Amino acid sequence: MRMKYVLSEVLVGLWRNVTMSIAMIITMAVSLFMLGAAGLLYQKVGDMKDLYYENVEVSIFLATDVSEQQRTDLDAKLKSDPLIKEVFYVNKDEAYKRFQEMYQDAPDLVNAVKADQLPESFRLTLVNPEQYKNIYDQYKDTEGVDEIVDQSRLLDKVFGVLTSIQTFALAIAVFMAAAALLLVANTIQVAAYSKRREVAVMKLVGASNWFIQAPFVLEAVVAGLIGSILALVFMAAGKYFGGSGSLSALEGLITPVSWGDIFLMFPIMAGIGALFSAGTGWITLRFYLRV
Amino acid sequence: MTKTYPKASRPSLDSVSVSIEKGEFVFFIGPSGSGKSTIIKMLLHEVSPNKGRVVVNGRDVTAMRSWKRPHFRRSIGCVFQDFRLLPNRTAYENVAFALEVIGKTKAVARRVVPEVLELVGLGGKEHRYPHELSGGEQQRVAVARAFVNRPLILLADEPTGNLDPDTSIEIMRLLDRINRTGTTVVMVTHDSNIVNQMRRRVIEIESGRIVRDQARGVYG
Repeated sequence: MRMKYVLSEVLVGLWRNVTMSIAMIITMAVSLFMLGAAGLLYQKVGDMKDLYYENVEVSIFLATDVSEQQRTDLDAKLKSDPLIKEVFYVNKDEAYKRFQEMYQDAPDLVNAVKADQLPESFRLTLVNPEQYKNIYDQYKDTEGVDEIVDQSRLLDKVFGVLTSIQTFALAIAVFMAAAALLLVANTIQVAAYSKRREVAVMKLVGASNWFIQAPFVLEAVVAGLIGSILALVFMAAGKYFGGSGSLSALEGLITPVSWGDIFLMFPIMAGIGALFSAGTGWITLRFYLRV
Repeated sequence: MTKTYPKASRPSLDSVSVSIEKGEFVFFIGPSGSGKSTIIKMLLHEVSPNKGRVVVNGRDVTAMRSWKRPHFRRSIGCVFQDFRLLPNRTAYENVAFALEVIGKTKAVARRVVPEVLELVGLGGKEHRYPHELSGGEQQRVAVARAFVNRPLILLADEPTGNLDPDTSIEIMRLLDRINRTGTTVVMVTHDSNIVNQMRRRVIEIESGRIVRDQARGVYG
């Protein structure tokens, strides 16, 4: 019966001040959504680093006027380099094939480029992708070398962008969380005031502290949980609509966000939402409900 | 014991020492601001003395941690001048509320509440709201609420302050009946009529000091 009493008090409490409750839930939802998005990004960047760095290549493009001798010398040198795991030679025809594959969606571009316009190259897989700099210094002045391109540097730029998006999302999450927690504090103050008679009687007849406080704290927790469910809905909607919209352009680049990833974020968002609400509620009560 | 409130120029209670036996009926009388209410607050562990000890039901309240207060309060019933009933609950619900919030089941309430309402003379009015009851009847509900848990002590802070003389007498009869069940009754009052009629122990306080402690006493 006590549980039933507490739960009905929670619902009545949320309903009594319904506009405030909605404001509280929305700010929490947005905050948790941003937090969840930042978490997903963090996870994705990690996945992508694993995936891409594994396959990352350094390409040494050869000058168009490279001689046979220069090519064989370079090949021998590369093959004996301890920093290099594997070496592939890509001739003009293969380069053209790769180019065709890469830009198969843009036939005009493919048609405009001829096979002999593309440079031949060596594709290197490094023992340790981070040692790119050494390779670059070592071979940049070798005769017949036109340009050295390191994919991991490109990736670093992409990851840099993703990380700043993540930081931005986290910053918004923090600001919204501050707003949400202030709303929680305010809601509880209002609730404590509107129930001051009941609270006074409860204290008088010796109701235990947890029993007096539980409905208020749980009110905040329930709001936090509803907020996290809404945040989950936002994320699901983001995947559902974003997947076919503007974000699909990034699909080849970013490893896809699975439903599993999204649902895995839920317990984290719900936990944080509930815990922070409960904490705020409890602290507020310490000031406004001296029990 | 001595109690000085912060910012007060003189102590609210100054070296007061009182002993009240189990089952007694005691009046605290004295002018406003004499320190009577402070005594009630101390008995409830709402305030603590700066010096001295408060022992209630054999427990040193002064040393009691605040988290133990709720349980301690269950052995004390309280009645106030302003009744302190919940306006949106009926007489029955007001009394049942006091039981339910200390963990008693609805079944217990169904058994005990009508009994105690009958005892205070409100049989048949269980489902009236406070605004549908007279002042005296409201105070009866408050007494029922204070007594429903069978406390060892009943504290009454000017319980007749808002009532006319006839109704006051009825409330006093009720408190007397409760006292006869073995419950200690401690009552703070200004009402000389009542004190003179009851002829019980009277402790007079003035400026924080006890100036008179008389068995079967009268007012002033």
